[in-house]
Amino acid sequence: MRLLIVEDDAPLASGLRRILEAEGHAVDVTSRGEQAVLAASQERFDLVILDIGLPQMDGFEVLRRLRAGSPDRSGPMPVLVLTARDAVEDRVHGLDLGADDYMVKPFAMPELTARVRALLRRSQAHGGPRIVHGPLALDTVARRAFLKNEPLELAAREWAVLEVLLGKVEKIVSKEAIIQAVAGWGDDLSPNAIEVYVSRLRSKLEPAGIKIRTVRGFGYMLEEYKEAKAN
Amino acid sequence: MAARSLRAHLLRMLLPPIAALLLLGALVAYYPSIEPATAAYDQGLIDVGISLGAYIRNGGNNYWVELPSAVDQVLRRDSYDTVFYQVLAPGGEVIAGDQGLPPPPGENLESIVTYDTIYRGQSIRAVSVPAQCGAASCRVLVAETTVKRKRMARDILFSTLLPEMLIAIATVLIVWFGVKRGLGPLARLSEQIKQRSPGDLRPIDAAGTPEEARPLVSALNGLLGEVAQASRNQQRFLANAAHQLRTPLAGLQAHTELALARPLPDPVRAELAQVHEATTRTARLANQLLALARAEPGARGNAADVNLKTIAEREADQWVHQALARDVDLGFELEPVTVQGDAFLLREALANLVHNAIEYSQRGGRVTVRTGRRDGQPVIEVEDDGPGIPLAERERVLERFYRVPGTAGTGSGLGLAIVSEIAAGHGANIVITDGAGDKGCRVAITFPHG
Repeated sequence: MRLLIVEDDAPLASGLRRILEAEGHAVDVTSRGEQAVLAASQERFDLVILDIGLPQMDGFEVLRRLRAGSPDRSGPMPVLVLTARDAVEDRVHGLDLGADDYMVKPFAMPELTARVRALLRRSQAHGGPRIVHGPLALDTVARRAFLKNEPLELAAREWAVLEVLLGKVEKIVSKEAIIQAVAGWGDDLSPNAIEVYVSRLRSKLEPAGIKIRTVRGFGYMLEEYKEAKAN
Repeated sequence: MAARSLRAHLLRMLLPPIAALLLLGALVAYYPSIEPATAAYDQGLIDVGISLGAYIRNGGNNYWVELPSAVDQVLRRDSYDTVFYQVLAPGGEVIAGDQGLPPPPGENLESIVTYDTIYRGQSIRAVSVPAQCGAASCRVLVAETTVKRKRMARDILFSTLLPEMLIAIATVLIVWFGVKRGLGPLARLSEQIKQRSPGDLRPIDAAGTPEEARPLVSALNGLLGEVAQASRNQQRFLANAAHQLRTPLAGLQAHTELALARPLPDPVRAELAQVHEATTRTARLANQLLALARAEPGARGNAADVNLKTIAEREADQWVHQALARDVDLGFELEPVTVQGDAFLLREALANLVHNAIEYSQRGGRVTVRTGRRDGQPVIEVEDDGPGIPLAERERVLERFYRVPGTAGTGSGLGLAIVSEIAAGHGANIVITDGAGDKGCRVAITFPHG
């Protein structure tokens, strides 16, 4: 994947670059907002990691210009905002600047790589009909699921719940959000019904190392697939 | 300095001149009115003298007075005063009347003289009237005590003083109540200032304040402006400090983690792990100190409606990962409830409570985050089943840098202090109680009704 890091702090930028290169990505780094806007207008990046506190043209302006540019065939470039300012969190939330995710400095690298993976996966899911999560693969066109390359039987509602969870790996999805996403199927769904679907999904997926975590009183979270646990 | 009453001050300033004016007014009114009255009484005495002169008889050099006793009684009759008289022959010998009446000062015996003197121990008013007796001139002295004159003087004085006294009393009353009334706009102004929230640094509206109070309002507005500027500077400083601190820390963290991912000799790995641990702790401390600074009254943002449930939901992702890392079961019981406050600070308070609960729970522990209302008041609550906080320590844990003795972990002792300051800034109370089943602890932040 092609990644663009826009960060003016050289040690942090080089650290991020090496960590993301170690994940197998092609990484470009720039310290200037103007250059970032220019680079993004000339080629497509799969993800932009954007610091808000840049000299001259700040991250907000870069983001605004990225979003104002002509929309790409393959959808807008995902942007992960980095910020050191408390107030920025509110602006990212409140002003709906079009950032896909944000992280407050300083952050643990595993968290950053997890978020990057989630964003990349999401943007892939936008483009392609195939969703892959470790040994699990969903063909959304044919509506067929595979686990370790074996066909996996999923009831319609199980499929719907799984699709919602796959769209937000490592994020909590509230029961209400799942009900809303699945409610298109007609009759009312109780939170208890969701529990039933999740527990069925668990019994099918957990043997392959795919974990759905219950967040008590809130919802569910599909954990990042970890190779080690599968073995 | 003792508070100085404007009223008392005004009265102190007004009373001496009022008293002086009163006195002057009395004098000015008294003398012009006492004089004609005195002259009228004197004229009465003179008339008596002239009448007496008509009773002087003479034969050669002998002079005598033939005064019928009825006339004598009439002459002496007076309802207030005792009347004295004396008739003197041209030679000066007393031929009738009361002995020893003092003669008038001076030698002018040809004209009428009025004078004050003392007779038989009483002050008297006397007249000396010349009377024709044959070819020579006799003299009649008539005098009376001064009871009615004094009485008249008293009456005149009283009648001039009374209205002036009334005016003085009225002045004092007008000052007393007028000052209170006149200061009404100031009282309203101070009420207006009192009802402001601490973060409200907008200028005071001068409309409706009297012209005399305008300088006060504009001075206050000047001060408010400076405070607001200072507050903006502080917020800008904090934003810059946050940026300057956090960015290098993020770089440090990135590089230590990169280094730790490499194959390293064990001693080096151990050293590096320490560096990484210290970095993480420093990062958290930096965040906490910034939060503490942000919680200071001057640095606070404007209050807005904040839904506590939304705050908890937004942060839940991050907390769940912390909880997973420590194998803690993090649960939520969230009811929507809105308070007036600073969203950043409220999130920081809640994050600190959750962080503490996760940090001090054993593996497999349970932490529950609640938002909602209790007895109608908005409340945030975090409950754990960890070691709890001993009763005696529950006050002290809210102090900065205080840690319960013997506590494991690497906390700075700032977490609950931050929560405490933020709660105080929102007019909220913190209550620490035992958790369910007398295990662990439950920290509740209760907000005022609203």
